[in-house]
Amino acid sequence: MNFFRHKFFRFFASVRTGIFLLLTVILLSAVGTVILQRPITDPVEIQRAYSPSTLQLLDRLQLTDIYHAWYFVTLLGLVILSIIFVSIDRWPNAWRFYSRPYRFAEPHFRASLPTRTVIPVPSADGALDAAERAFKKCGIPVEREVSGNDVGLYSERSRIAEFAVYFVHASLIFLLLGYLLDLQVGYRGTMALNEGETTNHYTIRRGATEIDRTLPFSIRCDGADWDSYKDADGRDTGMPKRYWSKLVVVKNGQDVRKKEIIVNDPLTYAGVRFYQSGMDKGNKLGKVSLQVNIPGAASPQSVELIPNQAAKVGDMTIAIARFVPEYYIQDGEVFTKSETPRNPAMQFTVSKAGTQYPVWIFMDRSGQAIEKNTGVQLTVTGGKLSTLTVLQVSYQPGQFLIFPGVLLMVAGLMMVLLMAHTRHWAVVVNDPKVGPAIWIGGTSNRNKIRFQQKFEELVAAIKTEVKAGSSINKKTTTPELAKV
Amino acid sequence: MSQARVERQPVSGGNMLLVMVGLGMAFLLFMAMLGLKTNPGPIYGESNMLYVALVFYAGAGALYMGFGVTGIERYVKLASVATSIGWIANTVAAAHRWYEAGRPPFSNLYEMLLSFVWTVALLTLIAEKGYKVKIIGSVTMPLAVVSVILMQLMPSEVRPLVPALQSTWLHVHVSLAMLSYAACAVSFALAMMFLIQDRMKTETFQVLTASGMVGVFASMLIRFHSGALAVTSYDISRHSEIFNDQNERVLVAIPDLGWLVLLVLISALIPVILYFVARVQKNDNLHDASTKAMFVSIVLQVVMVAAFAVRVKNSIYPALNADGVAPTALAGSPFILAGMIGSIFAGLLYLLLLWRRSDLERMLPPADVLDGVTYKTIGVAFPLLTLMIATGAYWANQAWGSYWSWDPKETWAAITWLVYAGYLHARITHGMRGRWAAYFAICGFVVVIFTFFGVTYLLPGLHAYGSNG
Repeated sequence: MNFFRHKFFRFFASVRTGIFLLLTVILLSAVGTVILQRPITDPVEIQRAYSPSTLQLLDRLQLTDIYHAWYFVTLLGLVILSIIFVSIDRWPNAWRFYSRPYRFAEPHFRASLPTRTVIPVPSADGALDAAERAFKKCGIPVEREVSGNDVGLYSERSRIAEFAVYFVHASLIFLLLGYLLDLQVGYRGTMALNEGETTNHYTIRRGATEIDRTLPFSIRCDGADWDSYKDADGRDTGMPKRYWSKLVVVKNGQDVRKKEIIVNDPLTYAGVRFYQSGMDKGNKLGKVSLQVNIPGAASPQSVELIPNQAAKVGDMTIAIARFVPEYYIQDGEVFTKSETPRNPAMQFTVSKAGTQYPVWIFMDRSGQAIEKNTGVQLTVTGGKLSTLTVLQVSYQPGQFLIFPGVLLMVAGLMMVLLMAHTRHWAVVVNDPKVGPAIWIGGTSNRNKIRFQQKFEELVAAIKTEVKAGSSINKKTTTPELAKV
Repeated sequence: MSQARVERQPVSGGNMLLVMVGLGMAFLLFMAMLGLKTNPGPIYGESNMLYVALVFYAGAGALYMGFGVTGIERYVKLASVATSIGWIANTVAAAHRWYEAGRPPFSNLYEMLLSFVWTVALLTLIAEKGYKVKIIGSVTMPLAVVSVILMQLMPSEVRPLVPALQSTWLHVHVSLAMLSYAACAVSFALAMMFLIQDRMKTETFQVLTASGMVGVFASMLIRFHSGALAVTSYDISRHSEIFNDQNERVLVAIPDLGWLVLLVLISALIPVILYFVARVQKNDNLHDASTKAMFVSIVLQVVMVAAFAVRVKNSIYPALNADGVAPTALAGSPFILAGMIGSIFAGLLYLLLLWRRSDLERMLPPADVLDGVTYKTIGVAFPLLTLMIATGAYWANQAWGSYWSWDPKETWAAITWLVYAGYLHARITHGMRGRWAAYFAICGFVVVIFTFFGVTYLLPGLHAYGSNG
């Protein structure tokens, strides 16, 4: 318990510390919007914007990645600490209000409550009834409260509003913890794959460097492309309308999940989300059209081939075996010169009666070849390079704290702004100055101006009721008075 | 007899204004009717309705201003009728655009202004009918008129959305942004009115206004290039800005206009400097001098806007970050234009205060009511701000897998949120009232303005989708 009197606790529970921390957050956040930031800005652009020595200094002070700097993260941690300590510090008071409502106005309380009035009555008899009627007319629910020999009125509304601030503060802790969690275990990376390709590699950027990492499962792309807006005559305007990729999650060699993703609609698997982020021309073969001449057949046959899929022609099957974007030949072997599709070569497999025969076609030569064993002639009549789809890979478990936190915050704010814990007490007293009277008092934890207005309306209503009651009931009996 | 004459005088003067406003509106509408045949599309179409809204808003603005100066109640009644008609036309325009596009109109600057004006007009009517703050129209209606005029300059054809913007959350996000920013604007106006009722000195208003002007022209000075003013290029025929090889917006240099900006900046700085000199030397005579300087500055600003409009309008200038020359138009510089017009508008409001302070004090609600309404408005704005940031985060999470990426617009929205959170804390837990609360509310709106305009115009950022630079 001593901890709560300790300097450390008092320091972080103080409002002044809270304000100082918030101002520092504001200041550092603003600084980060003025200086170009590393993960967002291109490294080349940063180098163009600052001189090498300035950039070195900024990097050393982590000002080019301020939101992930140790001091900013520490600051957010201190904000959490401050919110928790402030809440603990105020908790006993709020809990007392909530758990042990003060229902009968004792004399010492009556003397100290700021909002209170004494209304003289002709007699104590029936005064409480008059007050009760006035409460009901003003729409304030009220109940009788007996304390010893005394009877009083007590009314209470929205007790839960005492906790409104705790909801808001708890939601802030949710948000900050969620964010810090994502900062520690979450990541965002990029994965680029060609149509037909399977990979589990992605890269993340830390400052100026790129790091290659792997997933425990793989992603295969079964197709990717973009559609564009058509103009009134049905021609392409060239303005992209929709980017899409057909993705398959492959785990232990099996397809476990399939989805066609578009921008704004990602694929989620095991908490990892894959977003459509960009598209480019790939360096793999997407599709190839072939004309197949089988010796002895009446007319040539056309087939379309995509990677990993064979086509049946007569008693043979034809499939794509290899694609080399730019080739060269050394010692009779085909080698890859570069990954840029400037001068491609394709190897096909012709299978007949269980035997596979490979055959190369070089596009810079005739674009056709004859497989010697079967005598089949293949001619490439058209083809398309694969589309390279660029995916954003994102793992952010903290979002399961963030979005509930936001809902909690909105609920808490509504409570803070719309609800007030209001209480009223009324007791019949024998005032030394005015004689028999109704003492009435009230309090509200928020929106005090409005409460004051309502209180005055209530007092006026009681006065009218008292006047009406006394004109009907002239009979007097010995009143049982509460002591002032 | 003499008393009767005194009473009649403002009424006859009042009729004069009514006749002038009525004739003016009738003339503008008649001219529009004549031109209607050449304009294709239905009569209830967006551009026609927007024009009707403009005419009625302008009429309402003139009447509200007239009320501000004379205090004749009848003006307010007619002004609110004009505002209502304008608002209905505005609604039809927005609905027609929604129907044409098949999506809510929130995707670019033009459409955002359309919904902003709509919200401002609605809030004005609510403030007037519900809270009896009659004078507010004389601030908000000219704002609406300026926005509609800016819209006329901008490319207005319905454009298809790039894939990242095809999200319901985005529409919710933008409409919440417009609502909360409009509420912040109203709280700012109320805080200013509070300061008038709280007997803040006219000199202090002067230095506040002049500082605002300095802010506007100092940020324009960023585009100062050895005497010339750099503005964004704009191709009128394609309704688009021009981009260079590096995919940056091409800037063109308008010779000598930069010097004029510098001159206006200095003229706005003089009242600020004189104010502080007067404070230090306790010399009240200097205040007269600074009022004169203020006057000169406002006149210079009008000259500046005229010169800017004449030189920018559909002209060709040497390009700064590309080879050769490039065309530009007023539509290429909406922020500069809005800044200058806003500055002149602030100056006019200051003059209204300078000349008619006692009338204003008589017509405005008492200080403590204004204080309470300011708090309520911020109480509405704050949850909206929270939801606006939350829906933005949710959208970003769906669009590129990160709910928070510290991009400048996001960061400044968070700062705005923190400032208003500070206001609410100070108010609710520490009972802050009056002057300080008003200063706080004004600060909050300055941050809002920076988030809305400054971040796009002054800071680099990702949020370039819907903007016109």
